[in-house]
Amino acid sequence: MRLSLNLALAFLLLVACDSAGKLLVHFAALPVPGTVVGILILLAGLGIVRRVPAPLLKVAEFLLMHLNLFYVPAGVGVIAYLTLLADDVWPIVVALFVSTFFAMLAAGFVFQWVARATHNGSPDP
Amino acid sequence: MSEAGIALGDWASVPEGAGWILLTLALYLAARLVQRRAGGSPLANTVLLAALPIIALLWFADIGVDRYRTGGQVLLWLLGPATVAIAVPLYLNFARVRTTLLPMAASLAAGSLAAVVSAVTIGAAMGASIETIRSLAPKSVTTPIAMGISAEIGGLPSLTAAFVIITGILGAVFGAAFFNMLHIRDARARGFAMGVAAHGIGTARAFQENEIAGTFSGIAMALNAIVTALALPLLWFLFA
Repeated sequence: MRLSLNLALAFLLLVACDSAGKLLVHFAALPVPGTVVGILILLAGLGIVRRVPAPLLKVAEFLLMHLNLFYVPAGVGVIAYLTLLADDVWPIVVALFVSTFFAMLAAGFVFQWVARATHNGSPDP
Repeated sequence: MSEAGIALGDWASVPEGAGWILLTLALYLAARLVQRRAGGSPLANTVLLAALPIIALLWFADIGVDRYRTGGQVLLWLLGPATVAIAVPLYLNFARVRTTLLPMAASLAAGSLAAVVSAVTIGAAMGASIETIRSLAPKSVTTPIAMGISAEIGGLPSLTAAFVIITGILGAVFGAAFFNMLHIRDARARGFAMGVAAHGIGTARAFQENEIAGTFSGIAMALNAIVTALALPLLWFLFA
């Protein structure tokens, strides 16, 4: 009972950080999405208390493990844009394919090169 | 009067929204079962497996996507707090981030720049509309943040959400084979590149490969979201 209350509070803390970020962005007219500010708020908070409370760790791990669930509605939403997608279908298909692979290639190679060059070549055990 | 009308409309859609949420949950759980049965095959992507039956249902029963949104928007809203949760592994892995700071910073800069510049360039070169190009720019960033960036630079946030999902599925499905082809074997590099290019959907896939790849992918997703959100609107107004 006590545990589930703490889990609920931990979840509300995440909601509060996200909402605070969105409010701050709105009223300070920052050119940044609110959720990014929410991440920074939580990071700063963890830096101040210098530990992660166990319920927060549990809730965070659970949500991140099931992050794909929250992407499903956006996946369904693709259908609403089929006509707009159809207008530009080839630029979109080519841009998404090429750019995804190009980003993986650039990020992967650069990481490997710099890790080797800075003698950080041994992957963690 | 209009307020009462809106309230009434909202209440009328509550049971329907709840139905859509339950259907989405059930399909997501079924998708996880299929994924496990398929031995964690990258083709068995849970977003793809759960979304396709709903898309088919809406399509064949001729139901407007707005009706699905009565429930879908609740789950989509939850993506905000769920994304904030990234701060926890980011904080816990801070020591690891510090020791591999240089490879990470270089890879992040190269990967996020490659993603944005190549998407925008290809879109423009192939004659896509300006809304499409703007909506393409933040497609490697996780959904709630990408939608925010899209709004900042004058794109269509929902169209961006579609691009984000397709990008994530592409990265998750083909990433491992692509890295093998390129001889990128360092688990940290594979994970980090996956997170930069294919955000949370790629990260879920990276965790299937191993813990190290997943951790680095999560860090990359968070850093890429922060950096792109801070830099892209600024760069956009300087150059576009």
